Amino acid sequence: MIEIGRLCIKVCGRDAGGTCAIVDILDNNYVLIDGNVRRKKCNILHLEPTSKKIDIKKGASHETVKKAFEKLKLPVWETKPKEKRERPRKIRGKKKIAEEAEKKPEKEKKIKKKEKKAEIKKLPKTEEGLEKSKTFQKEEKPAAKEKEEKEIKPSEK
Amino acid sequence: MPAPRKRSRSLRRIHVRTPGGRTTIHYKHRKPKAAKCGKCGAVLKGIVRERPYQMRKMAKSKKRPTRPYGGVLCSRCMRSLFIEKARV
Repeated sequence: MIEIGRLCIKVCGRDAGGTCAIVDILDNNYVLIDGNVRRKKCNILHLEPTSKKIDIKKGASHETVKKAFEKLKLPVWETKPKEKRERPRKIRGKKKIAEEAEKKPEKEKKIKKKEKKAEIKKLPKTEEGLEKSKTFQKEEKPAAKEKEEKEIKPSEK
Repeated sequence: MPAPRKRSRSLRRIHVRTPGGRTTIHYKHRKPKAAKCGKCGAVLKGIVRERPYQMRKMAKSKKRPTRPYGGVLCSRCMRSLFIEKARV
């Protein structure tokens, strides 16, 4: 019963209940399985062979097994490769000081904008001050209108 | 004399040796009964006996075996179930 291409049902472990095909015979006790389970070495005692068989060669790749399974309309186990992330590294000493120095000017810029607004509001009601405040309002208004339009458009669609 | 609620045996008693050398009694709630297999009634392994608060703090993988019917059937019953399915 144990031969390459034989469809089995995994009986033990995390993948229990999943159908799989024997891809390779490694040993008297162990076989390589693939299909609706993780592709791995498996003890024969953990498999229950069924009457079905598929045509695959010894050591067939996951893709060929997948195609054979899709013909029979059986589900296939899909593993997503892990997304590679940069290792989080602790920065210390001179590098940390240098990074902090880089970060600081950005914060200062933001504060400056707020300060400008405050200054313009605080300006006394002289002619110069009124002119400045008008110019400031003109600059702000169109941007605000655009924002409103953007918000409305998706709802209409 | 301990407080009336502490005189009942519904709380378990734990003898604790204090740093000063005395032994004191701590009263704690009893743990729930061990989980059993839904088919054969055997005590399930790999399942923790803790009160709900402790269970809530634990990860799911720490509370039951990660296999189909984990925490419901024992491994033997699960195997026999899948073998039956394969043979039909």
